[in-house]
Amino acid sequence: MNKAAGGPVEVVHLSGCSFSSSGSKQSGASLTCMPSPAIGTGGGGVGGLEGWRPDRALVRVQDLTPDKADQLIWLRARVHTSRAKGKQCFLVLRQQQFNVQALVAVGDRASKQMVKFAANITKESIVDVEASVRKVEQKIESCSQQDVELHIERIFVVSQAEPRLPLQLEDAVRPDGEGEEEGRATVNQDTKLDNRVIDLRTTTSQAIFRLQSGVCQLFRDTLTKKGFVEIQTPKIISAASEGGANVFTVSYFKTSAYLAQSPQLYKQMCICADFDKVFCVGPVFRAEDSNTHRHLTEFVGLDIEMAFSYHYHEVIESITDTMVQIFKGLRDNFQTEIQTVNKQFPSEPFKFLEPTLRLEYTEGVAMLREAGVEMGDEDDLRSEHLARTYDTDFYVLDKYPLAVRPFYTMPDPNDLKYSNSYDMFMRGEEILSGAQRIHDAQLLTERATHHQIDLEKIKSYIDSFRYGAPPHGGGGIGLERVCMLYLGLHNVRQTSMFPRDPKRLTP
Amino acid sequence: MYKVKPISGGHIETDLPTCMYKLPNIHAQQGNSCTSEHALQNGEVDPAVRALEARQDEIMRKLHELKAAVEGLAKTVTTPDADLDLTVSSSLSSHSCSSATFKGVTDLDTVLGKDLGALRDIVINANPAQPPLSLLVLHSLLSQRYRVLSTVHVHSSVTSVPPQLLSCLGPRHADSYARQMFQLGFTLIWKDVPKLQMKFSVQNMCPIEGEANVARFLFKLLAPYPSDPALATLVDSWVDTAFFQLAEGSAKERSAVLRALNSALGRNPWLAGPEFSLADIACYCCVQQSGSASAAPANVQRWIKSCENLGHFSPAKLLLQ
Repeated sequence: MNKAAGGPVEVVHLSGCSFSSSGSKQSGASLTCMPSPAIGTGGGGVGGLEGWRPDRALVRVQDLTPDKADQLIWLRARVHTSRAKGKQCFLVLRQQQFNVQALVAVGDRASKQMVKFAANITKESIVDVEASVRKVEQKIESCSQQDVELHIERIFVVSQAEPRLPLQLEDAVRPDGEGEEEGRATVNQDTKLDNRVIDLRTTTSQAIFRLQSGVCQLFRDTLTKKGFVEIQTPKIISAASEGGANVFTVSYFKTSAYLAQSPQLYKQMCICADFDKVFCVGPVFRAEDSNTHRHLTEFVGLDIEMAFSYHYHEVIESITDTMVQIFKGLRDNFQTEIQTVNKQFPSEPFKFLEPTLRLEYTEGVAMLREAGVEMGDEDDLRSEHLARTYDTDFYVLDKYPLAVRPFYTMPDPNDLKYSNSYDMFMRGEEILSGAQRIHDAQLLTERATHHQIDLEKIKSYIDSFRYGAPPHGGGGIGLERVCMLYLGLHNVRQTSMFPRDPKRLTP
Repeated sequence: MYKVKPISGGHIETDLPTCMYKLPNIHAQQGNSCTSEHALQNGEVDPAVRALEARQDEIMRKLHELKAAVEGLAKTVTTPDADLDLTVSSSLSSHSCSSATFKGVTDLDTVLGKDLGALRDIVINANPAQPPLSLLVLHSLLSQRYRVLSTVHVHSSVTSVPPQLLSCLGPRHADSYARQMFQLGFTLIWKDVPKLQMKFSVQNMCPIEGEANVARFLFKLLAPYPSDPALATLVDSWVDTAFFQLAEGSAKERSAVLRALNSALGRNPWLAGPEFSLADIACYCCVQQSGSASAAPANVQRWIKSCENLGHFSPAKLLLQ
């Protein structure tokens, strides 16, 4: 009949029961059928997308509880599985992370053809169902709604899925170890990323990205409560901020421009413009040709910058307090999501201390020396040692040597070999690199010259400090990396919806 | 015998070569021995002199012990604001190894191992439902003795703690950002643990569990246990009595302990004899925590007042309020 936007395909009267194909050969009763009233009062068929709006309230699957028993309800969900057994057809209907068992049985409400029709609905198709809710004596362990099941009276296909799915959702959610043991398939990461739309439907992915949304939300809320102002900074810039090597070039009319590696320069200009405390959430582009578990070429940066009164430790305290509030918010409000992710990717819960543990760089080195290590995987070993002593997965390392920091880092006034800079670590991996910035134009010029940076390229940056700049500092974290480390996952692509790395540009 | 006249005349000047290594004369006497004045012909020291020296050392030691005891007694009867630590006042002599003397700063290295640059941090994980009063008392003693960096943290396993638990180690030190200036770190973490636990130098030491054992460790940083084994055992037995019967025991056990305390305190001013020791700290804290202080017998009440006169117990008292 009519092909409404996204609507189902054809409508055919059941009495002749002729099926017409929509072009490609498909197995089974791939189409929807509208039964004639002669067959039965129930039926299945096309969803109501012919332009009229039914007066119907759709119930959410998560609300299907025993107190709705014996009610007749409508709901829209995906067909997770469908299985015919003689005169009955069992369906599992799924909505995001919730699913419920549904039953079509031959009787006065349903005909044999309807049961056959239900059994042949392809997986992942979206259906509208009118059913009565029934209590069950034995709990249905495999579904989220364990105390009820639906007895279907009418079923309509709203949007049909192709029968051959590129990956099966049960396989995508299966933990890796279990797959090997029982000889069942798991889906490898590249396949998941190539078919991201289907992979994102799994309960694990839904949980991960809901938690990520929570991180962003908590970040904004905590900082707004502390009096910070959210700003948006330009991403097309004229000079590379972190150094010329890892920057993307874009053609900009007759010249070329760069994609911002961080909002660093603009955050600082805002401080000089008297905004006092700012933060920004936006994409960050790093053209680093590293294919590791924790690098992406494009990620979401959560950046903070603030002016302080007397000591840059005020900045460290502000940032660590923000992080602790985020962790607390996740611990208190997102336990369901964390448990869901842990089913597929088991890990230890994230531990932290309040106030945050802060060590100095030299102390970290001495600690490693005590353990007998001079060089090498310092981050891992130090974090493991601190986790054993203080039982924390999050800490700050303060006072890094000046030589390894960017040119705009303020040197330590008490010892010029060190700087007022700090790194923060989660589960042994660095998530934030921050420092007090040089707010004196003269000193900044000296340091830039020392690092052999072309002063012409950063002229406007230096100029912003010439007209009274307050002492300030800040830092930035990567949203995907923080989520990955909080949940104890092992690859940042799992926490990036459509990840970008040197080998991947689609979807 | 026939005497031959000397062939060569007198002294001969020989030019010693300067390119050869000169050995000291192995037959010459050693001149830098401290007993050289008393050395006999064969280099040994006269045993009588040695015995005399030993007696003199012994007398000096006894004198110091007596002095410490007298001062201790003076403390028990003097004003409440006696802020001079009994232990500090008795560390006057540099030679004596009396049990009441506290050794100096260098002994921190002996007890804890050489300082390699990282702050030596004592990390204590305690449950906020059972605050360790005796450890707070020992912490204030430690802070008087050494430069201690104290911090309090709340672990993520605990949702919130009352504010007095956050400030129980006193106000934050002004120099707390310069960690290397401190000799010792004292980090108290409020955590959901079944039993109190202390971690120090995790590479070399396993964790210590139980408030009594941690108290013993901390006390040994201040002073060694009494060298007399009977006295040391007495201290240990009082510490165990405090933490097992007094803190965790039934009402019957508690009253039995109070009676034992009463009789012990009738004989001596402090539980382990003439000097204040870990036994007094442990028993005081457990008596206060179990709430039996008001119903205690006379000697115990007097002893409680003496403890409070010393002034170290103020952090414990603050927390009990």
